[in-house]
Amino acid sequence: MLRVCGLTMSYPNGKLALADFELNVAAGEVVVVLGGNGSGKTTLLRCISRTLRPSAGAIWLDDVDLAPLSGERLRRARLPAAMIWQHASLVRRRSVLSNVAMGALGRYSGMWTALGGLPAIERRAAYDHLSAVGLAALAGQRAGTLSGGQAQRVAIARALAQQPRVLLADEPVASLDPAAADEIMRLLRDLATHDHLAVLCVLHQVELAYGYADRVVGIRDGRIVFDRPCTDLPRDAVRELYLSEAA
Amino acid sequence: MSLGAAAPHLAERSWTDAIRVAVRLVCAVALMLIVIQAAIVVRARPQDLITGAYGMADIIRRAMPPDFSKIDEVWWPALETIDLAIFGTLGGVIMAVPLAILAAVNVTPSRALYYASRGLIGFARAVPDLVWALLFVTAVGLGPFPGALALSVHSIGMLGRLFAETIENMDMAPIDALALTGARRVQIFTHGIIPSILPSLLGIALYRLDENIRSSVVLGFVGAGGIGFELLSAMSLFQYQLVSLLLIVTFVIVIAAERLSAVLRARLG
Repeated sequence: MLRVCGLTMSYPNGKLALADFELNVAAGEVVVVLGGNGSGKTTLLRCISRTLRPSAGAIWLDDVDLAPLSGERLRRARLPAAMIWQHASLVRRRSVLSNVAMGALGRYSGMWTALGGLPAIERRAAYDHLSAVGLAALAGQRAGTLSGGQAQRVAIARALAQQPRVLLADEPVASLDPAAADEIMRLLRDLATHDHLAVLCVLHQVELAYGYADRVVGIRDGRIVFDRPCTDLPRDAVRELYLSEAA
Repeated sequence: MSLGAAAPHLAERSWTDAIRVAVRLVCAVALMLIVIQAAIVVRARPQDLITGAYGMADIIRRAMPPDFSKIDEVWWPALETIDLAIFGTLGGVIMAVPLAILAAVNVTPSRALYYASRGLIGFARAVPDLVWALLFVTAVGLGPFPGALALSVHSIGMLGRLFAETIENMDMAPIDALALTGARRVQIFTHGIIPSILPSLLGIALYRLDENIRSSVVLGFVGAGGIGFELLSAMSLFQYQLVSLLLIVTFVIVIAAERLSAVLRARLG
């Protein structure tokens, strides 16, 4: 589903953010990336979502390599991958339902959507996605009135409206309380299990990784330290990942 | 610390204090010189105020009471003044929005377009609305239309700049998120940017409408119609009672527009 081969990213100042990175995420799998600050986790997601252009390597989404693409070809090729951010990033003055339906805009090119309209079929689908994340009752409410946890669930519903096969999540629970964080991770787990989405999630919370991931990838200085199933991941290995940062 | 050890520091402080006092003195003298030269250049003669007070009192005496019998003749110019401002503001908004998009550093499609639109906005603002009105009166003749055009073009300056600043200061996270869903540029604009900044744009436009109503009165003096044109005519014909009526109507329009604009802007906020 998602395959990253030899991904390398170096910034103009010479700093190597990712070095020869290899990663596979299959359909129905939740892979969590752990690592200290500045280890390259967010750069990895930004390269995969192609908001950054990698210096070298390939990013295979299904059978298309995103790395060399740009412009309209990139926009089209990227459609199967949806992104969830640390903050929900909703249009605060529009309704919750409209925000969700906006996730489908990429599939439309007509005058109606260009003028600010949303197809009726997508509004209905958006309602279903909101039901899936348990927020159908808030469909008509302004997005700016939601709590952090609710907003993040709406962001997930918007990602689902995109009809993705891959979900990329960059610290999606960083600004949430433990109960809301648990809820969001359970939702991502369910989407992988029942809808067969490939989920790649950057986290700082080790317990959540143990609780919901199939595999955990440890990363330090842009390089993979370990890539193991959760069931075969000693706590010492994770502790060492963060200890070396503290040192 | 002994007094002896503190002495060098005290000496140092007295020097810096002296310099500070000297700088203040120089600033005060410079300010006084600026005021004096301004009074000389504008040929300010306070005695004229005293001798002119008689003439002013005479005009006020002749303007009283206002000639309310001519109120029927004032409605149309009053409506013209309001419509001048409405047309001018709407025209300004229509032209300022696309220019502001090009002139906002975070959404402009190219650097060249950014500088070109910033230049246009700056030019529209730099030329006073009275000068624009004179130009348009020459081009399309007397009447309210050149006044409305003048207000439109001059409004681009203020609206374009403030709209561009609003766009530059908006939260870009929802816009970036929308872009990553695969939405096209125009969809991002209509679904993300417009809803985010619309209340601010409306607030600015309402404030401009309030300003334009005041400007539209003045534009009448150069032949651009409305109450200003009637005021000029009445003063030329020494019809001071009509002048006072026109001033009362102008006052009511300006205050009403100001209040309405303030109330609507408060609701948008």
